[in-house]
Amino acid sequence: MANEPIYVLGGHQTDFARNWSKEGKHISAMIREAVEGGLEATAIEPKEVEVGHVGNFAAELYSMQGHLGAFLLDVDPAFSGLPTARHEAACASGSIAILAASAEIEAGRYDLAMVVGVEQMKTVDPKTGGDYLGTAAWYENEAKGVEFPFPKLFGRLGDEYDKRFGLKDEHLAHISAVNYSNAKRNPAAQTRSWFMNEDHAKATGKFNQVIGGRIKVSDCSQVTDGAVSLFLASEKYASAYARRRGIDLARLPKILGWGHRTAPLQFDDKVAESRDNPYVLPHTRQAILDALRRAGLRDVFGVAAIETHDCFTTSEYMAIDHFGLTAPGESWKAIEEGVIEMGGKMPINPSGGLIGAGHPVGATGTRQVLDAWRQVTERAGDYQVEGAKKIATLNIGGSGTTSCAFVVGN
Amino acid sequence: MARQIRKVVVIGANGAMGSGAGEVFAAAGIDTVFLARDHEKAREGRDRAIALAKSERIADHITLGSYDGDLGRTVPEADVVFEALAEDLPLKQKFFAEVDRLRRPNAIVATVSSGLSIAAMAEGRSEAFSRHFLGIHLFNPPNVIVGCEVIPHAGTAREVVDFVGELLEGPLGRKVVETADKPAFAGNRVGFKVLNEVAQLAAEHGVAFIDALVGPHTGRALSPLATIDLVGWDVHRAIVDNVFENTDDEARDSFALPDYMAVLIDSGHLGDKTPARGGFYRRVRDGKETKLYILDPARQEYHAASDVLTELPEFVLRMKKLNHVGRYRQAMGVLLEAPGWEADLLRTVILGYVSYGLNRVGDVVRRASDIDRIMGYGFNWAPPTVLVDLMGAKEAIAAIEAAKLPVPPVLEEHAKRGGKFFEEPNVDPGRFFVG
Repeated sequence: MANEPIYVLGGHQTDFARNWSKEGKHISAMIREAVEGGLEATAIEPKEVEVGHVGNFAAELYSMQGHLGAFLLDVDPAFSGLPTARHEAACASGSIAILAASAEIEAGRYDLAMVVGVEQMKTVDPKTGGDYLGTAAWYENEAKGVEFPFPKLFGRLGDEYDKRFGLKDEHLAHISAVNYSNAKRNPAAQTRSWFMNEDHAKATGKFNQVIGGRIKVSDCSQVTDGAVSLFLASEKYASAYARRRGIDLARLPKILGWGHRTAPLQFDDKVAESRDNPYVLPHTRQAILDALRRAGLRDVFGVAAIETHDCFTTSEYMAIDHFGLTAPGESWKAIEEGVIEMGGKMPINPSGGLIGAGHPVGATGTRQVLDAWRQVTERAGDYQVEGAKKIATLNIGGSGTTSCAFVVGN
Repeated sequence: MARQIRKVVVIGANGAMGSGAGEVFAAAGIDTVFLARDHEKAREGRDRAIALAKSERIADHITLGSYDGDLGRTVPEADVVFEALAEDLPLKQKFFAEVDRLRRPNAIVATVSSGLSIAAMAEGRSEAFSRHFLGIHLFNPPNVIVGCEVIPHAGTAREVVDFVGELLEGPLGRKVVETADKPAFAGNRVGFKVLNEVAQLAAEHGVAFIDALVGPHTGRALSPLATIDLVGWDVHRAIVDNVFENTDDEARDSFALPDYMAVLIDSGHLGDKTPARGGFYRRVRDGKETKLYILDPARQEYHAASDVLTELPEFVLRMKKLNHVGRYRQAMGVLLEAPGWEADLLRTVILGYVSYGLNRVGDVVRRASDIDRIMGYGFNWAPPTVLVDLMGAKEAIAAIEAAKLPVPPVLEEHAKRGGKFFEEPNVDPGRFFVG
């Protein structure tokens, strides 16, 4: 890679089980805790930060608050005058903020950037929240007047797999059970104390109702409040940082590769476009390939694990073949062979993913890269993938619309 | 010795604690027998476990039985016998005699008692029973509240205590604190000291005012008097009476049940469990609306909340505003520096909690972090060392001295050492402070 390398210095994730509305908190409190926690964890001085990027989907709707970049200044007097911006690409907002920060470092403008992904979603009832999320689709055509539009859209992703290749719901249930099980080992996961097993995920009933189409409650990520900070640096800053902390620079993880593609907004248009393609979401596939290529990897088996976007079980099912773990349409093979489980050939979502760890929409992409950093620096505690050197992430906005992938490692 | 837990028998599985504990065992995939007076009662317990787990599948690991029909058959098969009967020593002792006769030589026997003497329960039992007997104090509902106390008595084998600790921390997902076998153990001793002190203050200052003054902005999910209503006044009395009668520490007077509570308990006011009579609060349905009434302790009558609610002091509003935007340190600074008798009163209660909690180190628990764990994970209150970190150690000591409270030795040692006092990993301290 000829470009300036982007070093990842760590950050902080708030406990995704928290309900900040019940705590009587404003979204600025979430940003503050994520930043203060990240500064403490990385031992970075506030005055060293040169630029701030906030990823957020819909604070205007959930919290009647825009202009989130400016809240960074509220955290510390040393941030006075800090250049900031807020980025939005639905559920991929967190990754877009990372891309913006890293582009500026690559361009040589800044040496140390702070990225915050944040979403406060428990401010409204689930149906209203579901309607807000509908703005990540083509609202007027796909979401207006539809109860819980997104489970229905991702149900249709499952239907498309079923039509092209065949799909058994038991494989989706297994994806759910694996994510919940992994989340039990993650102390910041939303569902860490919830009860779930494969039998529950397979059955429909009072406690596992159908939300839309083939999607049941157990197939869905939940409504989550959360904020995540991440500190990215140029080689210049990273060298000084490593020296100061007595670490070998070569041991600091980097963003080794990235991919970023956009597909048509409407789900029907995506499906129409990919009719003759072996992949259901070819632009998502391309974002993954771009990230692997930029990281100098021949295929996905050059990474130790994947943190993927399982907003629903169908999106993880899609990610399995799109990452190339199986041939197109054969994701079920990796599920049946235990490939995606902890201890498997390619663990997916050691953190519990969006279903288990939680999905504060605008924070998810940032959380995935922070989890990748935890894995490659052996700080993932009970959900550590042993000896992980490289981790891939995939973050998706809308119904497979904006796809962002990263490879993080040494 | 490699132990395995394949089967647990819960005695008293129909009650809140029994069914809740049963849910925790069954959720870990352990075969759990729900025993109660009869099958119907045991089924009620199982239904509650299903409701807690939000899954019918939890019942795959649960079988039902009655004392008369199934105790003799199931206890000999159990690796753990978990007793969750009413807090009635003779009743518990009667069951333990039976369990002593039936249990396998290696089986662990645990009681979920929230404060009775573990040693007294083991009295008269065989040595083998005593070695395998201990307290496991869970908080209700245990599927949500993961704080947990393990209480050995003098005769409990260390191997058993360690094994139970690992079982609870591991597959059962608990946050465990080992405490001494002293009245109310650690969490309830420290927590009910504060709760009862606030109930005492309510006699002079009124329910609405004092409960709002020591409200969620001071680092708790629920205000103190609402907490007593939730726990139940009868349970509250049992806990504070036990501590008052059986301890002699610097805050013994704080455990004296207020007279007005004794009178009202006798006439059936037990808090939320007696909704028609109420406790500190009474909610009355009026068509579609629910009206809130608040107790006047002096006259022992209830008044509509709209007539009672008093304006909060300005410094409390400032604390809430600061919490709202995540400025917890500044909110604590406001508490330390605010003028006026209301601020003095609040400082006495909050610093009293810090002082009393940390003074139990070396008495009821080994480390400050034990008190932190049980107050954070068991009560959902800001742990004492979190408050100290926000105040600053020197400032906290000065404020404790100014309030004429004893400065805990562990706090003095910490102030000399410096650094952060709160050491529990993976906890956001901000989560305790409500805006």
